[in-house]
Amino acid sequence: MFAKIGILEAAYYLPPKRKPLTEIFRDEKTPETALAANVDFQRDIGIEAVHVAGEESASSVALKACRRVIEKSGIDPKEIDLIMGFTSIPEDYIAPTWSAAGYIQKEIGAARAFATAINTGGCASYQQTLKSVCSLMTTNPKINLALLFAGDKVPALNHNYYPITVVCDGGGAVLLKKNHDRRQILSVDVITAGKLHDVWWVPGFPNRDPNNAKDHSWMHVAGDIGRFNTEVIPTNLFMFRKVIRGALQRAGKKSADVKYYIYPTFSSWDQRAFCRAFTIPPDKVFMDGLQRHGHLQETDMVIDYVDALDEGHIHEGDLVMLVTNGAGFSWGAALVQH
Amino acid sequence: MDRVTTGIVSAACHFPQQRRSARELFAEEGLGLSPDTAARLGIEEVPLCTGHQGSELAVAASLEALARANVSGADVDVVVDYTIWPQKWMVPVWNMSGEVQKAVGAEKAFTVGFSGGGATNFLVAINFAAAMLEADEKMKYALLVAGDVTIPGNRVLNPEDPVSIMGDGGSAVLLQRDAGRAVLGTELLSNGANHDAYYIPGGCLVNPEDPALYRMVLDKSRYDGAPKASAMLDQARRVLDQAGLKLEDVKYVVYPNISAEDQKAFREAFGLSPRQICTSNLKTHGHVQGNDLVLNYLSLAEGDVREGDYILMCSHGMGFLAGVSLIRI
Repeated sequence: MFAKIGILEAAYYLPPKRKPLTEIFRDEKTPETALAANVDFQRDIGIEAVHVAGEESASSVALKACRRVIEKSGIDPKEIDLIMGFTSIPEDYIAPTWSAAGYIQKEIGAARAFATAINTGGCASYQQTLKSVCSLMTTNPKINLALLFAGDKVPALNHNYYPITVVCDGGGAVLLKKNHDRRQILSVDVITAGKLHDVWWVPGFPNRDPNNAKDHSWMHVAGDIGRFNTEVIPTNLFMFRKVIRGALQRAGKKSADVKYYIYPTFSSWDQRAFCRAFTIPPDKVFMDGLQRHGHLQETDMVIDYVDALDEGHIHEGDLVMLVTNGAGFSWGAALVQH
Repeated sequence: MDRVTTGIVSAACHFPQQRRSARELFAEEGLGLSPDTAARLGIEEVPLCTGHQGSELAVAASLEALARANVSGADVDVVVDYTIWPQKWMVPVWNMSGEVQKAVGAEKAFTVGFSGGGATNFLVAINFAAAMLEADEKMKYALLVAGDVTIPGNRVLNPEDPVSIMGDGGSAVLLQRDAGRAVLGTELLSNGANHDAYYIPGGCLVNPEDPALYRMVLDKSRYDGAPKASAMLDQARRVLDQAGLKLEDVKYVVYPNISAEDQKAFREAFGLSPRQICTSNLKTHGHVQGNDLVLNYLSLAEGDVREGDYILMCSHGMGFLAGVSLIRI
């Protein structure tokens, strides 16, 4: 389906400042609505601390990740044909009017590129981006090198994404190259359940309390936890199965061929449920990121992939599946042949 | 093997019934409309919503586009959003494409939306949607949608030296793999140095508190300085060259409704005769972001366009993003 497109390099940036979860739960209110899973959210989540951007902007953490990936790869930014943002939470300025893609283009000097951003898929925006970019690289002979990036910074008091996770600030960047033999993207499958579009959202400035300028809760995620429990959770594994099968079928592979999984770092119970549902031994899924940094939205797919590679979990010849879900609600799976 | 192409099989627009004259809108925003400015803009009235109905406009246009093609929403493989104005809730955590997917019954689809680039975002959507359909034989239909609703009190773009008057509206375009009016290619080029030349400075992580900053602003000097016509001309020559064509082979050009002054500059740069470009919607709709291109494409389709004619869709959107798509009727 796709031309030979490989991951040339991937990198991430985490702001140095960390905030322990004890302080997150001290500073931020946790809703009282019951969890579907039989767990204690604060005790069992499995995250120790998250990184916080503080004075750094969302764009600057993205830029640092981009600079790292450029440095790691040794490319000249002028070679980049396409810059694609895939940040899934509000950025410095309001979307879809603005995205950080132009800022990144300017800062790295990618003069010949065109810059745009995907603004759908929630934490599955990486797979949507891979699908879109690999399609364009396949069909357009002039697009040979693409820079994908995300930069996440949540409002200071919105790290607690009850009932799902606790979120971290940071950025990720990936370079895709055509005719690159290694880390080849064999297939991507994505699906959206639009009927769940209104389960997870951020109200936005027009919905603020005009009498209280200091109240920034209009920038905080809001969720219909009742519908999350009754509509998202029962659908979740079915949709995961669908995109996993879809990605495998498109690549002509079987689930037994997959040697390693990159899965989001939402919570310990979510990771266990995924492994149990698909009978995947836990040592075939990169899980260490959960304790280290919690959940980085769509950037989980980048940071966990980089760490799994660097820490020797992925070997030459391995078939790796990057699979996730996200607000919208969307599910995505991508197969990478090492 | 011949390259698979993607084509436009139908398109539709949906505008609010309510209209307001340019003079009234200027007055509402505390501005006077001089005869000179009125002539430069060439906009007499714009359609507008009461409240935020972006999703409703997009859904209505989508249903109409599907009906015109006699295609069921259940057959759509991907819904692609090219809206530019802020939506009902904050993008990207939420995007109206999910609501459109639900409303049209596109149950097997996934959704994708793009940010930035002003009106050119429509050409970004066409570019990626066509690529997805051409690269994946399992995909057949892409539904491109937008629903743009201007921030209240923010209809005159750059009040100090007005550049346009912005209306509300929605549009949808249905693309099909290997059928329809072929999208032969798209060329896009951005200049990130202008990423903040046309944007909303407040209402997000930077400047979250000042309501005065929650409005679209334009840096007029950078807007004027951007090589709009020359960049589009370069892109047009590139896309035509790939198809073995020249500018003289193009019968019509579809271009946004920013102002009469802007359309004239574009027409002169491209050496077009007045009948080669639709300008009539400017007067009655003003600028409705990427929806302009769909509206003007539909006007063209109702004219004397014939099978085999080549048309260009051209746009400059701030970001800065210049784009051109080549279509064979």
